[in-house]
Amino acid sequence: MNETLNLLVGMAMGLNLLALGSGRLPTLIRTVALQGMTLGIMPLLIEPRFEWPVVLVSFATVVGKGWIIPSLLRRAMRTANIDREIEPFIGFVPSLLLGAGGTIAAVALSRALPLLPEHAGSMLVPGALASVLTGFVLLIGRTKAISQVCGYLILENGIYLFGLLLIQATPLLVDAGILLDVTVGVFVIGIIVDRIQRAFDSLDTRKLTVLRE
Amino acid sequence: MTAGFLLSVGAVAAVAATAAGRRLPRIWLSLVSLACAAALAASVRVLAGAGEWEWRSTYALAGQPVHLRLDALSALFLALLSFIGCSGAVFSREYWSDEHKPDSAPRGRVAWISMLICMALVLTVSNGLHFLIAWELFAVCGYFLLTLDRGNGDARAAGWLYLTCSHAGTLALFAFFSLLAVHTGSWDLGPMRDRPELAPLFWLALFGFGVKAGLFPLHVWLPSAHANAPSHVSALMSGVAIKMGVYGVLRFSGWLPTPQAAGWVLVALGASGALFGIVFGFVQNDLKRLLAYCSVENVGIIFVGLGGALIALRHGEAPWGILLLAGALLHVWNHGAFKSLLFLGSGSLMHATGTRELSRMGGLWRRMPWSTVLFALGAVAVAGLPPLNGFVSEWLVYLGLFQAAATRTVAAWAAVPAAIALATAGAVALAAFAKASSVAFLGAPRSDAAHNAHECGPLMRGPMLAIAALCILLAFLPSLLWPALMRAASDWNPALTAVALPAAMPALALIQATLAAIAAVAVLLLVSRATKTGVRRGPTWDCGFAAPTPRIQYTGGSFSGIVEGWFGWLLQPQRFASDPRGTLPTSSVRVARIPETVLERIVGPVAAFVTGASAIARRLQHGRLQAYLLYILAGVFLVGITVFLGVFL
Repeated sequence: MNETLNLLVGMAMGLNLLALGSGRLPTLIRTVALQGMTLGIMPLLIEPRFEWPVVLVSFATVVGKGWIIPSLLRRAMRTANIDREIEPFIGFVPSLLLGAGGTIAAVALSRALPLLPEHAGSMLVPGALASVLTGFVLLIGRTKAISQVCGYLILENGIYLFGLLLIQATPLLVDAGILLDVTVGVFVIGIIVDRIQRAFDSLDTRKLTVLRE
Repeated sequence: MTAGFLLSVGAVAAVAATAAGRRLPRIWLSLVSLACAAALAASVRVLAGAGEWEWRSTYALAGQPVHLRLDALSALFLALLSFIGCSGAVFSREYWSDEHKPDSAPRGRVAWISMLICMALVLTVSNGLHFLIAWELFAVCGYFLLTLDRGNGDARAAGWLYLTCSHAGTLALFAFFSLLAVHTGSWDLGPMRDRPELAPLFWLALFGFGVKAGLFPLHVWLPSAHANAPSHVSALMSGVAIKMGVYGVLRFSGWLPTPQAAGWVLVALGASGALFGIVFGFVQNDLKRLLAYCSVENVGIIFVGLGGALIALRHGEAPWGILLLAGALLHVWNHGAFKSLLFLGSGSLMHATGTRELSRMGGLWRRMPWSTVLFALGAVAVAGLPPLNGFVSEWLVYLGLFQAAATRTVAAWAAVPAAIALATAGAVALAAFAKASSVAFLGAPRSDAAHNAHECGPLMRGPMLAIAALCILLAFLPSLLWPALMRAASDWNPALTAVALPAAMPALALIQATLAAIAAVAVLLLVSRATKTGVRRGPTWDCGFAAPTPRIQYTGGSFSGIVEGWFGWLLQPQRFASDPRGTLPTSSVRVARIPETVLERIVGPVAAFVTGASAIARRLQHGRLQAYLLYILAGVFLVGITVFLGVFL
């Protein structure tokens, strides 16, 4: 069971790197969706007994992260009618290097952290840290609003991974709440993206500097 | 009628005047006069020994119960405030009338009465939080009065400087009152002399109130503010508003314990401020700037008196301490009176000639006899000459300093240099006002405006006459005022036991009266001789110069040149001159400017550095979302490292 979980976390970490390296928006969205679905399966593996609420949350996560959010993003992309190319602040190779460095650092750091014995062999902590870092690199290094939303989603995935550590301690309701927040957040961002597009004729967040005062 | 009843009448009238100020100038004036008369009556009652008035209400304002108190010390200031406030209001009816200033006169009336209310509140509230509120409102009202003439860029700049400095002071006061509240557990104010741990707070109070009082070297806002404000506002600011700073220092040096060095620092600051202030004043060619710097000098004298009293308290030698304090308190009144008179007089000159430049006046005594006599009276008083009031209070301060010097204790080390500095300042003050009076009033008119000057009307003359009468009254009746001064002194700190009127005082009054009588007889004789034998008018000897013009007269600069040379290190005069050359010289120019050294050489560079540093820090705020996220990441990273080091090391 633990090996399967670690495999999935490893896959999510690989998807992080893919997200950093992808040059087109649809690929990025697809990567994020895939990562979300990977994460959605995890509660089933962690929870030893079969429980309806867990299945429900797992299902909701897979549907939300794998289908609803990506389709919202695709729709925003279509209605805003933007260029599919990602314009990076930080180039793809430096991003990848940062991501890889971050992943290694996350693994090293989680060794140094005083974890509970049952989490010692798990990849959950390094995976979570690596996803948070990746999310930040995407947020800082990309100019288009939609790619930043993707960065935000990956960041949120990292936090979700942390949450999985506490799945026995926290009610699943909390997870469900987070998921709902994210969905609403993406929904709102979709609307904002549309507004930005109308106001600035572009989704380049660099143009938001005129709003700084 | 009790003080409380009178004060409530005054308060109601003042609030009604605020409402009437915009539309109904006559009603405004009567209400202001009523309010001032009521406040004056209340303070006179308290000063005459009716006992302190105190009122505690259960009603809470801003979470604090209202607590008002009028003791002899605050009554002393309230009396000055109501007298000058009323005189200035009458003066403004003609000087800043609706016909001449339809735009700003209504605003000015509302701001005037609001300023009076706020200052009266500062004097009466007995709660730290309420004090801060009243203080801040008072500063803001002062700003609006100062910038009544919005179109004038100089006035706006002076207003900004005033507001900035005032807030720097208020910041210190915020710290002062908050720390006081933390230490005592309550915002309520009152005597707390038995708490030695509160002593260091004195320095905060000294800074905060010193800025407002124009204590050298915190006076940087004062010259430009007093020079650019309308004259009746200058009179109020110089006569009363800076006294609020003096009141603050007095009040809290009396209520709280003071540090060991407080008296020494006050004497040093006061003595050097008196000397440097008047030196700066002497070299000014702008009449109102000269008067403004002279206020710095007089505040210095007041602080010498107060500092001396503090030293006396430390050494348990009360007799000379109370003399010094009485001198300082009397000087508060005297300076309030003669400086308002001079500022109103300068307002009359500006009204007539349209300029503040001494070099554009001249020969005004023929055209403006009333203003000339009243200004000269004020000048004699401010120069500390007998037989007027400035002499009396300065003499009290000197008396205290001499007695302190005679004790041959450590206090003599403060008293002797202070007496020397004050004496020098007095001499320079005499020279400064000889310069101002002679350049403005004597000689030939130096400009067309001075040539066509006209005397001011009754509404401007009346208040000036009233204040002049007060100056004379204060000079001849020190024995009548003595009990009031003693009451204020014992309210300041009961450790100072009241002393009897110094024996020299009644004799002094007699000498003053004799001198005045001799002067009056001499003037009468001269006038009668002149009318009997007639006056022969002829040209003055002009060195054989064929075409004399009014410009060939002594200028202000000629008067002050020598002192400018002595104090060149302090004044740092900036000169530009192209001298006449050759047999037939063409035009030549000579321009001299005295910078405000403390402002331009110290405060200015420091402020420029802070602005530069802020501009660099502002570059972090550029509006790029990505970089802001990087800041967050860096911040989280730093916090992480700190926690990591804290936990694991």
